[in-house]
Amino acid sequence: MLRRLAATSVCLTVLFAALPARTARRPQYGGTLRLDMGADLASLDPAVATTASEESAAKIQIDSLIYEGRNPDGSFNGAPGSGPFKILSWEPGKRATLQANENYNQGRPFVDSIAITMARSVRDRLLDLELNKADLAEIPAQDARQSAERGVRISQSPPDELLALVFLDDRPAASDGRAREIIGQSISLAIDRSAITTFLLQKVGEPAGALLPQWSSGTSFLFSTSADVPRAKELWSQITPSRNIVLGYDSADALEQSVAERIVVNAKEAGISLKAVADATNKSTNVDARLMRAPMISPNPATALNGILQTLDPLGRGGFSAKPLRESSSAQEIYGRERAVVDAFRIVPLVWIPRVYGLSARVRNWAAPAPGQTWPLADVWLDTDGKSSDLKDQ
Amino acid sequence: MTFRSKLFLNFIIALLLAVGLVAAGVTMVTRRVFDELKREHTDAMVAQFQREFERRGQDVAHRVKAIAEEEATTRMAVDLSRPNADVSVYVHDAHGVSGSHQLDFLDFVGNDGAIISSQEYPARFGYKLTWVTQPDDWAARGAFLMKVETDQGPALGLMAVSAVRVGDRDLYVVGGERLGEAFLKSLVLPADMRALLYLNLDPEFQEPNLIDEKGPAPDGDRFQALVEKIEADPVEQTEKISWGFDPSNAEVFHALPLVGRQKELLGVLFVGSSQRTVVSLERRIRWLALGVAAVGLLLGLLLSWWGAARVTRPVQKLSAAAREVSQGNWNARVDVRGNDEIGQLAKSFNQMTTQLVEQRERLVQIERVAAWRELARRLAHELKNPLFPLQTTVENLQRAREQNSAQFDEVFRESTGIMLGEIDNLKAIVSRFSDFAKMPQPELAPVNLNEIIRNVVKLFEAQFNAVGRPPITPELHLEENLPIIQADATLLHRAVENLILNAMDAMPAGGVLMLRTQTHEGGVSLEVSDTGTGLTPEESERIFTPYYTSKQHGSGLGLAIVQAIVADHRGRISVESESGVGTSFHVELPARPPHKPHVFPIVFEKKADEA
Repeated sequence: MLRRLAATSVCLTVLFAALPARTARRPQYGGTLRLDMGADLASLDPAVATTASEESAAKIQIDSLIYEGRNPDGSFNGAPGSGPFKILSWEPGKRATLQANENYNQGRPFVDSIAITMARSVRDRLLDLELNKADLAEIPAQDARQSAERGVRISQSPPDELLALVFLDDRPAASDGRAREIIGQSISLAIDRSAITTFLLQKVGEPAGALLPQWSSGTSFLFSTSADVPRAKELWSQITPSRNIVLGYDSADALEQSVAERIVVNAKEAGISLKAVADATNKSTNVDARLMRAPMISPNPATALNGILQTLDPLGRGGFSAKPLRESSSAQEIYGRERAVVDAFRIVPLVWIPRVYGLSARVRNWAAPAPGQTWPLADVWLDTDGKSSDLKDQ
Repeated sequence: MTFRSKLFLNFIIALLLAVGLVAAGVTMVTRRVFDELKREHTDAMVAQFQREFERRGQDVAHRVKAIAEEEATTRMAVDLSRPNADVSVYVHDAHGVSGSHQLDFLDFVGNDGAIISSQEYPARFGYKLTWVTQPDDWAARGAFLMKVETDQGPALGLMAVSAVRVGDRDLYVVGGERLGEAFLKSLVLPADMRALLYLNLDPEFQEPNLIDEKGPAPDGDRFQALVEKIEADPVEQTEKISWGFDPSNAEVFHALPLVGRQKELLGVLFVGSSQRTVVSLERRIRWLALGVAAVGLLLGLLLSWWGAARVTRPVQKLSAAAREVSQGNWNARVDVRGNDEIGQLAKSFNQMTTQLVEQRERLVQIERVAAWRELARRLAHELKNPLFPLQTTVENLQRAREQNSAQFDEVFRESTGIMLGEIDNLKAIVSRFSDFAKMPQPELAPVNLNEIIRNVVKLFEAQFNAVGRPPITPELHLEENLPIIQADATLLHRAVENLILNAMDAMPAGGVLMLRTQTHEGGVSLEVSDTGTGLTPEESERIFTPYYTSKQHGSGLGLAIVQAIVADHRGRISVESESGVGTSFHVELPARPPHKPHVFPIVFEKKADEA
């Protein structure tokens, strides 16, 4: 009963958190926002390249706080400190302190400073949130429900990251186009996406049959996400000689690992010989397919689709990213591109995952950023005397 | 081989057989006893395993039941009993609960058999375990073996099921322990025993499925036949596996089939018992037995030697005495005490030699008397011939003197001439007897017998073809390369001469004289044959007796001289004769006469028709 109540409360929390956290009270200036990050940033110098995607994303977030604005090409304009915050202190890879820029041209931020702690693991971030040692931290989607049960405020973006199974071009399974298509289709039909969403993502996310989420394209419902094991078996039986498919996943990503293991179980049920192997570097040449994440880079569906295809098929061997859609492409054009890609079964969409943030009780005016947008920390203020009405306010 | 050696050999063979039989018996009995002990040991280990298995099963069942009775599980069951219950919130529960209860396997299974949460196969949620929902009294069943699907592949588990009923819906708790390396490690086994477990999780024998407490067991393929045998007939079996030529490396494995709920074979537990200790003990006992046997044999040898010597000593004495008798010492006596067979034999021998000596003396006396009679007869015969003319001549002289005849002088002259002639004859007779009495000892020198024979035959060539008598044809069959012997050439010449003369006398009507020489036992043999009238058996027996002759004229010394010469050369002479066919003399002479004088018997042989 308690769990059921907790689950209901989580759903409500998620629902409210999806909306901008607005308050009826007047914003308060002052205070230090404690921010936990998983990334291990050594430097903010643009000349220093970052390899990990998490570090790259974190760098963008911090840059967006210290620079005045961002250009269409993704670069930031102005000098460091011209943005809402200035760097007060920097310990490479450990912590940093940003101080509010009193002279920011769009007005001083509400918080006096932001204390950033870097290289915090997921477990540490969750503990910091539970123990009220952090005000804001990004947490894995599959932990949202459990964190909410433990009293952490959850803010969740619309599902904007696609987890897909992508066949690699230079592997035997993909060398024969027709065979690869049948293999991809049989695996796609064998996968129970609903179970992945329900059990592994704990109902945070959506089964994905298309490359864009329903809220973005509006046509996602036209793509089937249900499993058809008999059909998968029938298709797999056409593969002669039988093949052993190796599926790689990022061993550092707990969600990818559990999804890969579930796909193995689904495939086994359909008689498909599929094995999951850890591939931390995402560069192993011994895998036929790989689980990959593709975030939406823009709310615009055409731009987002281009970005997703660029991420999942960077060399454009499937011919999908060779001709990017125009930003003003019609819904029919976008659907046509999606359909062509999905029906080729080189990319098998699995689930849409939202970005989930844990918030402390005093954080106000926080809204989960839309795809392509950065954290709105300049607008966030800290409520130091109205903790009891936190949930009511949101 | 001497009698003592034979007796000693027999003793040894009997001793060896006895020792061998005892050693074989001891070895067999020892091995049987060890096998029996080992079997009892293994049975005890198997019983221990079964008890351990049962205890673990009870423990697993207890722990699963404890999980089912926990408040959290009850809450889960209550929650899931509601319509449209959200099972996803429990998907990770099995992991934590199994850890706290130290279970390797744990599944929460819904009323429809669908897995809600699985510890061993987390990604298998939603799939159904239909066997759980089948009617069964899980509480009464207790623990059982089962093939468990895990994310690492199938495994063998000792499982138990406990159901939590809320309303008309059940929540099943399926938990258990893995039967694997850890289980084997937990078994307490003596140093010379080990336990292996074959996990029968695949349709065919898989070598890596045979594990010991450290992982896959080496040389697992050696167990394939035994596993397949148990698959065909799942009963306990025992088999010995050798790991090399050394028997101490062998192990006796007692195979215990492990079956599941449906009596399907899920595994085989092998309790291996090393033969090292047994073989070591057997070897020690064998060496001890060998040592005892060696000492016994040595002792037996000495005793056998002593016994054989004791038994054969009188026989040896008898043998030596018999040998002495055979060499002419008829006074040999055997000094044997006791009244057993040997003692009686010795007494009989002594009596026999005594009687032989007495009989010989009697025979000598008889022979001597006969010889003297023969000598007297011959002397009378020889002397009578010249004496009669002497008597007649003297009577003629007396008569002429009484008649005073004018022819007395002429008669006197003729008579004295006759008398002198007869006196010469008397002297000649005395001379021959004197010569026989003075036979010289042979002077040995290298002699070629063939050469002597040729010389003698050359001397007789004129007489063989003498005018007025039928011719005698000599035939010489002399072996080339006849060995040179040590002999007195003059005596041999005389002996051959006498034999030829004897043959010529036997062939008054002519005939063939054959002389043959051959190598014989390192020495030589001579055969002189004639085609004369032959001898009667009585004549053959006495032909070498001095002064015996079958002829009207003759001294009876010729063949006696031949026999004496052959005897002086340590040779042997025999005669073979058939009346009307002829006579053959066989002479055998050694290459070198032995120094020790001995008596060579004269052998009288008879031809077949005489027999």
